[in-house]
Amino acid sequence: MTAPALTAPRTAPAPAGGAGLPRALHAEWIKLWTVRSTGWSVAAMVALGAGLTTLVCALVAPDLAAGATGEPVGAFITWGLLFAQVTAVVLGALTVTAEYGTGMIRATLAATPRRGTVLAAKALVLSGTLFVAGVVTAVLGWLGGNAFLSAEGIGLSLGDDGMLRSLLGSGLYMAGLGLLAMAVGLLLRSTAAAVSVVLALVFLVGNLVMLLPGSLGEWLTKLMPGNAGSRIATPESFNPMLLDPWPGFAVFAAEVAVVLAVAAVAFGRRDA
Amino acid sequence: MIVASGLTKRYGDRVAVDRVSFTVRPGRVTGFLGPNGAGKSTTMRMVIGLDRPTEGSVTVDGIRYLDCPAPLRAVGALLEARALHPGRTAWAHLRWMAASNGIPASRVDEVLGMVGLEAVAGQRVGRFSLGMGQRLGIAAALLGDPPVVVLDEPVNGLDPEGIRWVRTLARDLAAEGRTVLVSSHLMAEMALTADHLIVIGRGRVLADLPTADFIAEHAASYVRVRTPQPAELAALLQRSGADVTRDGDELRVQGVDTAATGELAAGAGLVLHELGLVRSSLEDAFMTLTAGSVEFAAARPAEVTR
Repeated sequence: MTAPALTAPRTAPAPAGGAGLPRALHAEWIKLWTVRSTGWSVAAMVALGAGLTTLVCALVAPDLAAGATGEPVGAFITWGLLFAQVTAVVLGALTVTAEYGTGMIRATLAATPRRGTVLAAKALVLSGTLFVAGVVTAVLGWLGGNAFLSAEGIGLSLGDDGMLRSLLGSGLYMAGLGLLAMAVGLLLRSTAAAVSVVLALVFLVGNLVMLLPGSLGEWLTKLMPGNAGSRIATPESFNPMLLDPWPGFAVFAAEVAVVLAVAAVAFGRRDA
Repeated sequence: MIVASGLTKRYGDRVAVDRVSFTVRPGRVTGFLGPNGAGKSTTMRMVIGLDRPTEGSVTVDGIRYLDCPAPLRAVGALLEARALHPGRTAWAHLRWMAASNGIPASRVDEVLGMVGLEAVAGQRVGRFSLGMGQRLGIAAALLGDPPVVVLDEPVNGLDPEGIRWVRTLARDLAAEGRTVLVSSHLMAEMALTADHLIVIGRGRVLADLPTADFIAEHAASYVRVRTPQPAELAALLQRSGADVTRDGDELRVQGVDTAATGELAAGAGLVLHELGLVRSSLEDAFMTLTAGSVEFAAARPAEVTR
């Protein structure tokens, strides 16, 4: 073991700016890409999303072309996102729950004591990453799936109604879902709990409310985050009951914003 | 300089830190000493804004930690050895911290060298031993070259060599004019490291004084004499100015040494069965001071015979 070499040169005085948002963003960006779970999550999203879309298009293309299914072609072209969204939830939750699980949060808040700055940096880095990953996934799925659809003469081009919107919308929906998981993670401080709650909300509750009778069931179905938010990620939907893409996304964004706001207040008040 | 005034932290009904006020001055090592659960860690967490005080305040060089423009350059803190993600490499851990406060990346290699971890900089910290984790924590504390350094139980998990290293480090940092606050539950360690002591128990400051004074005040030694004629010897010793307490055939004498005691007894023809000097250890003094404030006191074992 070496003796302490405390004659090491002192560093230059702090450049202006201090520990503000730009530096917090830089730090969060380094943090995100220096753990393996990020690479795995993003790779899983692309593989699942693009792979399953391609697969389902290959399987249904002949029937779709024959008009035997009664389903719109546009409902299949981003179909894999249905499964890929799990990875957005996991990555979003891990952004904060991994820090609570390991004690890292104390280092984070020691470096950037302003909690609002930490939260903003995390949200921007996460949503930016998920947006890009979501768009890439959707584009690859569209290219892959379209190869089979075009062979049957029912391919979708970027100019087709809602196609471009759903490619970009896939990124928006992934980003929103990640933020929702992050906010829930901030409130529950546990990876398992946060992932379970968000997945249950999106997959389970979102479908169960359809069973409620009358307009109550109809409106709850329209307003559940997964149902309202995901419509923007597909040119056409299997479920005609859903809100239109942009109104639906506005509802989803508002829901995410409310949960984020509650999480931000809790984050500011609770001890680390 | 760290200044705490009326610092209080309550968790429901439990008071973890109770109106604590102290000043930690630069240029010396201040030991923050107390039994486990005394409130040391909670106090240190409030210093760097992780926990919000219920009442009172603590400032570093005149401002709240929260208001430091680049906090890692103002205060370096080792709070928990494992405040890091096990999947990240040592270098990456320090790199993001540096980025957050505008510290150049070159400083990362510098502090890794200072703590002797440059060879394992690219390893994931999950594989680190407790001692290596502790060194990485210290590297993180030194990253911003801060004028104030706070180390919570830094020698935990270190081997004797590592303990000596931390001791030297703390003293060197203080010698450079920095403010150094080191916590420990080990009196002996603090006696070797700290110039000044703040003793805390059950959330309250019990003593705030130079280490030398603490030793002089609390670790008094005494002469123990056993004799079949305790009353006679006690009277004799008291006449010569000694302070005597009697317990059966045993006398505890302060103010004269063993030689003088023996000569006095011989001069009066008194029989001695035992004569010796008992040095009270610092650990004993610390235990005595904090006796009433230990959170979970074990049942007292049978009185130890010296």
